[in-house]
Amino acid sequence: MPTAALERKNLRVGLLGFLAAAAMLGLGYAAVPLYQLFCQVTGFAGTTQRATEDDADLAARMAQSAGAKTVSIRFDASTSHDMPWLFRPEQVTETVQIGERDMAFFVARNNSTKPITGNATFNVEPEQTGQYFNKIQCFCFTEQTLQPGQEVRMPVLFYIDPAILDDPNAKDVEQITLSYTFHRKPEPAS
Amino acid sequence: MRFGDWPHGVTRFVMVFWAAIALALVPQAVSAQDAAEAPAAEAAPAEGAAAAGDAAPVAGGYEPLGPEWIKGQPTAGGWDVQDQFSPIGETASGLHFGLMWVMGIICIFVLGLLLWVVVRYRRGANPTPSKTTHNTFIEVVWTLVPVLILVGIAVPSISLLSDQYESPPKDAVTIKVTGYQWYWGYGYPDNGGFEVISNMLPEDEAKAKGLPALLAVDNRLVVPVDTPLRIQTTAADVIHSFAVPSLWFKIDAVPGRLNERLLTIEEPGIYYGQCSELCGARHGYMPIAVEALPRDQWEAWVRSQPGGTVGDEAEAAPAAPAADASAAEGEEAAAENAGGAETAAATN
Amino acid sequence: MATTAEGFQAHTEDEHHDADHKPGFFARWFMSTNHKDIGTLYLIFAIFAGIIGGAISGVMRAELAEPGIQILTQAWPLGAGEAGFDAALHHWNVLITAHGLIMVFFMVMPAMIGGFGNWFVPLMIGAPDMAFPRMNNISFWLTAVGFVSLMISTIMPGAAAGAGAGTGWTVYAPLATYGHDGPAVDFAIFSLHLAGAGSILGATNFITTIFNMRAPGMTLHKMPLFVWSVLITAFLLLLALPVLAAAITMLLTDRNFGTTFFDPAGGGDPVLYQHLFWFFGHPEVYIMILPGFGMISQIVATFSRKPVFGYLGMAYAMVAIGVVGFVVWAHHMYTVGLDVNTKMYFTAATMVIAVPTGVKIFSWIATMWGGSLEFKSPMVWALGFIFLFTVGGVTGVYLANGGVDDVVHDTYFVVAHFHYVLSMGAVFSLFAGFYYWFPKMSGRMHSELLAHIHFWGFFIGVNVIFFPQHFLGWQGMPRRYPDYTAGYAYWNEISSIGYAIMAVSMLVFFANLAYAFIAGKRAAPNYWGEGATTLEWTLSSPPPYHQFETLPVIEESQGYHDHRPVAATPATS
Repeated sequence: MPTAALERKNLRVGLLGFLAAAAMLGLGYAAVPLYQLFCQVTGFAGTTQRATEDDADLAARMAQSAGAKTVSIRFDASTSHDMPWLFRPEQVTETVQIGERDMAFFVARNNSTKPITGNATFNVEPEQTGQYFNKIQCFCFTEQTLQPGQEVRMPVLFYIDPAILDDPNAKDVEQITLSYTFHRKPEPAS
Repeated sequence: MRFGDWPHGVTRFVMVFWAAIALALVPQAVSAQDAAEAPAAEAAPAEGAAAAGDAAPVAGGYEPLGPEWIKGQPTAGGWDVQDQFSPIGETASGLHFGLMWVMGIICIFVLGLLLWVVVRYRRGANPTPSKTTHNTFIEVVWTLVPVLILVGIAVPSISLLSDQYESPPKDAVTIKVTGYQWYWGYGYPDNGGFEVISNMLPEDEAKAKGLPALLAVDNRLVVPVDTPLRIQTTAADVIHSFAVPSLWFKIDAVPGRLNERLLTIEEPGIYYGQCSELCGARHGYMPIAVEALPRDQWEAWVRSQPGGTVGDEAEAAPAAPAADASAAEGEEAAAENAGGAETAAATN
Repeated sequence: MATTAEGFQAHTEDEHHDADHKPGFFARWFMSTNHKDIGTLYLIFAIFAGIIGGAISGVMRAELAEPGIQILTQAWPLGAGEAGFDAALHHWNVLITAHGLIMVFFMVMPAMIGGFGNWFVPLMIGAPDMAFPRMNNISFWLTAVGFVSLMISTIMPGAAAGAGAGTGWTVYAPLATYGHDGPAVDFAIFSLHLAGAGSILGATNFITTIFNMRAPGMTLHKMPLFVWSVLITAFLLLLALPVLAAAITMLLTDRNFGTTFFDPAGGGDPVLYQHLFWFFGHPEVYIMILPGFGMISQIVATFSRKPVFGYLGMAYAMVAIGVVGFVVWAHHMYTVGLDVNTKMYFTAATMVIAVPTGVKIFSWIATMWGGSLEFKSPMVWALGFIFLFTVGGVTGVYLANGGVDDVVHDTYFVVAHFHYVLSMGAVFSLFAGFYYWFPKMSGRMHSELLAHIHFWGFFIGVNVIFFPQHFLGWQGMPRRYPDYTAGYAYWNEISSIGYAIMAVSMLVFFANLAYAFIAGKRAAPNYWGEGATTLEWTLSSPPPYHQFETLPVIEESQGYHDHRPVAATPATS
């Protein structure tokens, strides 16, 4: 029959077990921000980087010293199934100098009869170029609201980090695709 | 030495042998052997037809390929991977055959050991058991030998992966594949941006055309042969997966993100695949049919599509009679590659 | 708190000199705190769930016997009445989902851990009961209610096409969110919550019991390998299940409360759900097989009359499998769009698992080597296990290669692989364990003849079902398809014939159970003879209701293998 000492010991081990389980539960939730952070830092899953104008100036200077190489950029636009917007890139591809800033435009038109707010998810392919693809300005940083029938040109200002030329995995990439998908913002909880 | 260098006949023999032992079922093993012979017999007429097709392409116009061009589809009783028609498929099937060897040998080895102990150490034959519980040498051996085998597998496996992830060249023909519940959309952003919607043909229609039911579609994904293809996949609703077994190609279509892989098809023909990620009720009814055509025929097909353009012809006003123009431009475009489209777009 | 259960406990303590005093029927089976009774409940429950899960696979094999939709359009228990075409296809998805969830969470896990674990871990370590007997009871009833919730889910409104959750057992977002409006998916998720909570409680209970309640002298390195396997499994459960709980809870709030953890419309990522699911899902497959490893070790040693070869290697191989099992999850996601370095890492890491698994296979063979083998029913199942698990293991190495996987990912090759390791690995070890311990649990001997017939029928049946599925996968047939083109008909028909063979062999199993209870001979304390040397064989069959009132003592001189008392008298009442 269990003695009091054994019961205390059991309780301690049992509680430690529950603590471990609770910690893993917490880790499960923490995975959401951690995964996001991991992607943002490492460019995992083709996540692009955010940069300031100063970063861009520095990159441009570095690129000049490294000699001007170019890379082709492809622009891709999709909408999710419930999004009544027409969304397309103004230009399908563009050749840019590595390290130089470039501005590209996407066009969106709200074909419905209601104002609709959308937000864009994005990634680049090939994925290993994500950590070198820097956005200075992007319509994807904020939500976009379009009135019925309204059409807008939306800019994205970006540059390719010259460090890409030092990465054996990424330096042979001839074309980088920048892809956006517009999703309809979920209606406020009804 | 690459695994693929081993003669396939021997590999097939080993596989049949393994199948026979594992199943202990004679009729089944026999049918496996029959099946092994079947693909070889079927390959011959298909190749003959391919040669004929290359020699005499239909000038200008586009005709969908008929059932005699089907190269990538399952065969009844087939027990190996489908014949491969892409460079990656050929490399990968070499590793596949090597792995079949390894798997077969390990299974037979373990089975042999088991049969040996069962016979040799049954109670009748060995009434007094030994009390051995350790043998450091043998324990080290059976740890290290698997490690070596695995390293032997890992080397070609890792190199296969890096081949698969070769990024497509700048002038690759880009196809944007979008998965919908429950059909596929194939966009051609470099060729005027039209999108082909591809639905499964109803069973009776497919049969009437002599095409396989549940694989045949109304509009195929038409691509040029021997040309690098940049296949980009995404989905509009739930996750789908774009898969073609005879091209060793499978990549998920995930809503909200774009995936990309390089694909090159080596022979004109029809290659069937099916959605490979559970996507709802009609998951089994959204097949994929890839039709690879010689470049000029593909260009003729592109022009037959609404808004379809090839190369920089969007600028050059089409003046010449259709047949001549398309043939001439076809060659031109083939020489310059589709990269022309890009400069055209960039200067706009 | 004067609950009935406590009243009952006080009652038994009053009369604790009578070790075999049992409470009344309701108190014994519904408020049970006795590890053996709870183990019995788990086993009965697992058999019941297995019948349902197995019947579902029968419907699936019948549908797949030939091309076209034949069975699913008929009137039919899940979702009554003549079904339309889309409804029929949705039914299919409900069936595959239910089959997967039932077999994983309500058949294999309850039988292995809940059933055999509860029964034999305390017996083997010389403990009077589990550390937390009442929590043990809660674990069981949570699992049972979870099963009820899953059954309810099949009749709740699911997708537009019909009732039930047709999401696959993986419940991937966004199919589980966007594609399924009705509450069916909520009930399925809730069922996983309940079963998961039950398993976490059970895992804590096992860890505490094994750490604190071993008999004097029973050090960790003297524990039987089955106890080792349950200990490692409990740790896997404790660390993996909460992650599943978090993932499906987020799925639940995405569905019902407007959060967007996995919904790209709000900045979520559906791929993250897969990462979380498989971070749980891969350890889960080891949760299902490790206790089987443990049972096979006991059985092989018993019927070879020889101690397990390389005991420490066997124990730490399981530890290694458990640890490495946590860092290989993305091999379930090779086609999702991983970058090349990630795929290379997961390819290499996954192949590493083959090494400790190989150590186990070879150690079992070495245990038999030089032994004196007796082919009683548990031993033939164990031999079948070793071979079939090897087949499933090598196809696992094949699948580990990310580049090769592209052609077979989500095809029948994968189905064949995981049925070789589970439907043959886990289930063969379950039957081996069942025949090994059934007389110990029931006090009645089963028929060896029927058990051997059952083995051969089952062995041939499952091989005829699943071996051709390798070929189907290589030919490209995707998983989770109710219908297929003519090219896949040949092997599918053979596969369905195999199901019939397997089903008939299961009738033999139930006949054997009936025989044992009606006409079975009384079982002696140690009916397997001198090879059976762990503590449960020192007790009567069935063991007394309360065992080890005087704790057995393992002497310094005794090794890991032989725990029989050195002195003449067994340590029981």
